[in-house]
Amino acid sequence: MLSYALRTLIRMVLTFFVIVTIVFFATRLSGNAVDFVIGEGMTTEDRDLLIKYYELDRPIWSQYLAFLRAFTDGQFGLSFIERRPVSEMVLERIWPSTQLLLSAVGLTVLVSIPLGIAAAIWRKSWIGSAVMVVAFLGYAVPNFVLAIVMVLLFSYWLNWLPVVGNGTALHFIMPTVALAGVLIAALTRFTRNAMLDVLGQDFMRTARAKGLPENAVILRHGLRNAGITILSVIGLQVAGLAASGSVVIEAIFAWPGIGDLLVSSALRRDYPVLQFGVLTVALAVIVINAAVDLAYAWADPRLRHTVKG
Amino acid sequence: MLKLLLSTALAAGLASGACAQEITVGAANVSSYLDPGRDHSNVGSQFYYNAFDTLIGKNHDKLEAEWVPALATEWKLVEPKVMELTLRDGVTFHNGEAMTADDVVFSLNRMYQADFPPYVVRSRDRLSNFLKAEKVDDLTVRVTVEKEEPLWETLLNLQQVMIIPEDYTKALTGDPEVAEHDDFEAFSLAPVGTGPYRIAEFVPGERVVYERFDDFWGEKAPLAKATVQHIPETASRVTALKTGEADIVTNIAPDQLALIEADKNLRTVGSATPLFHVMIMNVNHPKLKDPRIRQALSLAIDRDTLNEALWLGKAVVPSTHTLEEYGDLYMPELKTFEYNPEKARQLLKEAGYDGFEVTFDTHPTYYTNGLLAAQAITEMWAEVGVKGRVNIAEKWSGRSPEMMTRNWSNPMYFADPFGSFGVMWAPNGPSEGEGRFNTDAQYAEIWERFRFSKDVEARKAAYAELMERIRQDPPVLPLYRPFESWAMRKDVSWAPKPGHIPYVLDFRAGSISFASN
Repeated sequence: MLSYALRTLIRMVLTFFVIVTIVFFATRLSGNAVDFVIGEGMTTEDRDLLIKYYELDRPIWSQYLAFLRAFTDGQFGLSFIERRPVSEMVLERIWPSTQLLLSAVGLTVLVSIPLGIAAAIWRKSWIGSAVMVVAFLGYAVPNFVLAIVMVLLFSYWLNWLPVVGNGTALHFIMPTVALAGVLIAALTRFTRNAMLDVLGQDFMRTARAKGLPENAVILRHGLRNAGITILSVIGLQVAGLAASGSVVIEAIFAWPGIGDLLVSSALRRDYPVLQFGVLTVALAVIVINAAVDLAYAWADPRLRHTVKG
Repeated sequence: MLKLLLSTALAAGLASGACAQEITVGAANVSSYLDPGRDHSNVGSQFYYNAFDTLIGKNHDKLEAEWVPALATEWKLVEPKVMELTLRDGVTFHNGEAMTADDVVFSLNRMYQADFPPYVVRSRDRLSNFLKAEKVDDLTVRVTVEKEEPLWETLLNLQQVMIIPEDYTKALTGDPEVAEHDDFEAFSLAPVGTGPYRIAEFVPGERVVYERFDDFWGEKAPLAKATVQHIPETASRVTALKTGEADIVTNIAPDQLALIEADKNLRTVGSATPLFHVMIMNVNHPKLKDPRIRQALSLAIDRDTLNEALWLGKAVVPSTHTLEEYGDLYMPELKTFEYNPEKARQLLKEAGYDGFEVTFDTHPTYYTNGLLAAQAITEMWAEVGVKGRVNIAEKWSGRSPEMMTRNWSNPMYFADPFGSFGVMWAPNGPSEGEGRFNTDAQYAEIWERFRFSKDVEARKAAYAELMERIRQDPPVLPLYRPFESWAMRKDVSWAPKPGHIPYVLDFRAGSISFASN
């Protein structure tokens, strides 16, 4: 288990370095920051003065080295636009996004695992069919459509729920449901399929033959074995959501999260913020993936043994 | 008994509502930094007037300039090029420090003798005639200009010369005795002024929270607290207004007005903002060098139709680059720009237009109706036989030699033709600096007369000459003053005041009130 964890760690570090480099060069492919930071309508003299002041005239290799150095001394520089440390800007946005992500994942797990199990057990009855229809619908509706429909219904017409920001628990309801919608649909289907695979296995029959009650058979033997698949799907979905999924939802609900920051800094070519923000998200994705890897190994002893061998 | 309880509760609620007024504004944009000196953006101008003062104030209820005492109580010319100002006694900054002549000298010289690059840039385009400010005694300062200045009050009323505290600013970083660049950077995140509201919280790009400043020298602020919250989506802003999460929202597009007006609890106010959306034409583009081609591109545009179609007729289409706010220098009698498709066709023929494509660059969303206007304009060109193409890009192309035409805005930075046309189209100004406009010695001579003549008639005559130059060899066509709207709860009484520069959210005494029930 320890060497498995070590390998995971090394892979993380390598991935991170590659991402650092790609992020640095890719952000700069999208256009010269000068055109965006300095703004429009300016004399050449003024423009040169500001370029020098904002250090936009440094050669790219020197910027790259400075960027790498930032990892050792923790100085990620100042935002071109807001003129404050980018680490501060990114860090204050991470918590609201994380909260939203966790509440969406929590809701997903709470709803879709029971639904998926129900759909597997009663797959031939109307219950199974109903769950699957809802799951398909959920999969087909993009999250921003769901968000806008909810806003219309619960805020605009009924005036039950607030739409702006993350001030209270009530603020979480619509963005959480909007983000969780697609996840619930996906995870319900995966849970159902994984359970179906497991339900027909020999060990399930053995468990029943031992005289275990049906609940215990399904939860302890069935779910535990289907867990690997379910876990990997959760990991993938969460990582995807962390990387991109909440940008639109954050804009609709004026949620002060990292998606909003990334989009605005990309539009303004605020490279220091953009690259630090993308890196933070990349790091989050890597950590989530590693955590899922480790969780597999914990859930399935076979996996860590094969790796060792 | 129940009745009594209810009515008591009701009365208490009303009373507390009346004296502890708090509002939330849902804004399409919130500043990334707050420093009145370095900023001249439309986003920034929303925020400064509540928290900062200038030496000379303005009666904003009037369209035309009426100067009133602010941080200076009196001012007079002591020499042709020296203005002496008497400072108001007993003014306190939001951090508790008393305002002194030193603070005033520091604030003015941070612009007049700018060394911090963002100040240098702002100072050059509007304050280059101002040499220095000096302290005479604790309540007297003198300001010296290079050439005799016809616009003293106007230029002492600028946002850029709002007064900030010296000691506080210098002590923000590094040596507390020296004004370093980093001090000004830090100030723009923790701004302190003398206005009726202090900035209690500022989260760049997200939120500005004002709180009433009890030691304000003038009439007390009507609101205990005002929060300006970033709500980027128009639909979310409107919804926030309906749910009561916002009391006022900014930047409502013309097509949303009817929706809001249909709600009996809401209302909208609007005004034709003192700025022009313009079309610029690159005089140095090889294919547009012949002025007749540019004249034709301009003459082919039916701006009244654009106004009807895009702004429900609520925008204002000008005959020349002039605004009503200029007072004596408002010159609607000049006919610099017109719609005349026959003449356009004829000029194109004379110039030998061979059907080459003319591109019109626009950002997809930056200007309200910008993209629609661009599409309509190329259609109008097609009517006179010009092949136009809309080129959508986020990047500012005004500096590019390949740029043929595009949209831009010419805001009124201050109420004088110098504050709009004058800043943008000065000799060696931004337009010439970007290589899409040329001036010569004659233009510069006229411009000098326009800028510095003390006699209003002489300034007007010079401005008319400048407009004639622009008509003959056009680099620009002002399309319209866009109609900008705000929406609010019906019981909120607020409207943009006519004497302000664009977009100011003015919550000072007399600017906002609430219906009594």
